[in-house]
Amino acid sequence: MKTAIQISNLTKRFKSFTAVDKLSFSVNQGDVYGFLGQNGAGKSTTIRMMLSLIKPSEGDIQIFGLSLEKEREKILSKTGAVVEKPDLYKYLSAYENMKLFSILSGISLTRAEIMRQLAVVGLEKRANDKVKVYSQGMKQRLGIAVALLNDPSLIILDEPTNGLDPQGIADIRSLILMLSKDQGKTVLVSSHLLSEVEQIADSMIIIDRGKKIIEGKVSELINPFSVQLEIISLDNVAAKEVIMHSAWSSGITYASTEKILINLNKDMIPALFKFLVEQNIQLINIKTTNTLESYFLSITNDHAV
Amino acid sequence: MQFSRIVYVELYKVFRKPRTYIAFMAIAVIVGLIQLGFYADGDNYIQFGMQSLSDSFDIGGNILNGYLMAYIILQTMLMQVPLLIALVSGDMISGEANLGTLRLLVTKPVSRTMLILAKFTASNIYTIILLIWMAIWSLGISVLVFGANDLLILKSEQVTQILASDVLWRYVAAFAYACLAMITVSALAFFLSLFAENSIGPIMATMSIIIVFTILNTLDLPIFSGIKPFLFTSHMLGWKGFFDVKLNADNEQIIGSIENIRSVLISAFILLLHTLGFLFASIIVFKKKDILS
Repeated sequence: MKTAIQISNLTKRFKSFTAVDKLSFSVNQGDVYGFLGQNGAGKSTTIRMMLSLIKPSEGDIQIFGLSLEKEREKILSKTGAVVEKPDLYKYLSAYENMKLFSILSGISLTRAEIMRQLAVVGLEKRANDKVKVYSQGMKQRLGIAVALLNDPSLIILDEPTNGLDPQGIADIRSLILMLSKDQGKTVLVSSHLLSEVEQIADSMIIIDRGKKIIEGKVSELINPFSVQLEIISLDNVAAKEVIMHSAWSSGITYASTEKILINLNKDMIPALFKFLVEQNIQLINIKTTNTLESYFLSITNDHAV
Repeated sequence: MQFSRIVYVELYKVFRKPRTYIAFMAIAVIVGLIQLGFYADGDNYIQFGMQSLSDSFDIGGNILNGYLMAYIILQTMLMQVPLLIALVSGDMISGEANLGTLRLLVTKPVSRTMLILAKFTASNIYTIILLIWMAIWSLGISVLVFGANDLLILKSEQVTQILASDVLWRYVAAFAYACLAMITVSALAFFLSLFAENSIGPIMATMSIIIVFTILNTLDLPIFSGIKPFLFTSHMLGWKGFFDVKLNADNEQIIGSIENIRSVLISAFILLLHTLGFLFASIIVFKKKDILS
């Protein structure tokens, strides 16, 4: 499989602060690649370097086998991106924004073509409304429509579901899968939510303080049968005591008077539920939560019980 | 990509912003008010101005005509117009940073140099259009309202009379020169807009620089005399040179003459140098700039 992105020893220093530290990874063509990290981990700085918004202090970026430093315009003509917030010209309509950015992308689209592009993100009926009256979700969708204007081979989306409602998140997820699986585009999606990435990504990387923590196939890194369960009962202290003195104790990753987090196999959920009821633990809520933080903690063995 | 298409994009954005029209409205209102004032009370003003001359000369005819009005308006306003210019030029980069659109713009396959040149060109086109608008109001409307006649310019030690038939080309040249002066201001505001994330800073900084330089110009202190010729503000009123005419042996105006064309050209050259300096500095800064907004 061909490599779409090859990052080697990428480093960015802002005075004495190192935002990205000798980061290396590669993305295969046609893959959805999850770029994970907590807020401030260096995701946006890396993406900005990949889009030539900021210059690396060290390292090399190759996209489609071309050096970003030498072939910037050629690479950007095949790339679409939404960086952080999808900010557009608020005093212009969605149609006008699309028209102007199509010109800047080096293509000339007719009104019908622009309306078709807006229809992909469900904004064709609001095409003539000024962006300033758009909701966050609509802005996000318009930002993606602008990123797709030049029919890019590589799409870079920085936290694309930020500020979206559940339906909006589901729509973006479907769109990313459609772009990758149906149209063969390479999509790099950054997020601080593991659950979001594991549903769409083929491969992923987790970075922390600008350094790579782990990289690989999602299927190999995340056990699909393992979940994190959040338990809330009337008396969480008693519930913790009961679990700590049972065979389930090894799975506890966090416990407080508010809630208990426990890692276990999906198949074991009914048995745990039965056990807690038998122990007269009055349950209020049980739900699965796979957070980047819990995963991060599990791979670094930094449990906080 | 064609440069003209990027300039079109930039001009489209400039002329779709409501703030762009503030300058056009301001000029129309200010010039209109001056014209109204002179229409109502101009004769008294002219009589007062000519008091010292009326004993020595027999002055008749339509002194308060459209040409004189244009001269008065130009003289009054050319130090205020920079604010209106900075309103748009100071917003060219900082406004994009403020909106967050700068990062989207820079991810498009356009070189940074081309982008900055297109923005610079768009801001200059705006400046030229604004000056044309000012010319229409201060010259066109004034001539329509007050009529055209010989231009009588009163200076501290002399009165210059320019025949009506010899005035219009001088105004064309004066406005062209004013365009160059305002493009220099625009280039300064544009350069400063690279360092800010909202347009207030560059606009204020541009005006502060103009005010400080103008004060330095007016201070008659030897310590500043060495730098005065190099300050662009020293040359902003160089358009007046087009209204200094040569006289023949009989003390009559030589049609089509300019008394000190060399001085006008040197002033224009200094303004041009400043403009190019600000432009090159803008290109260098923007090429190296990390877009963090």
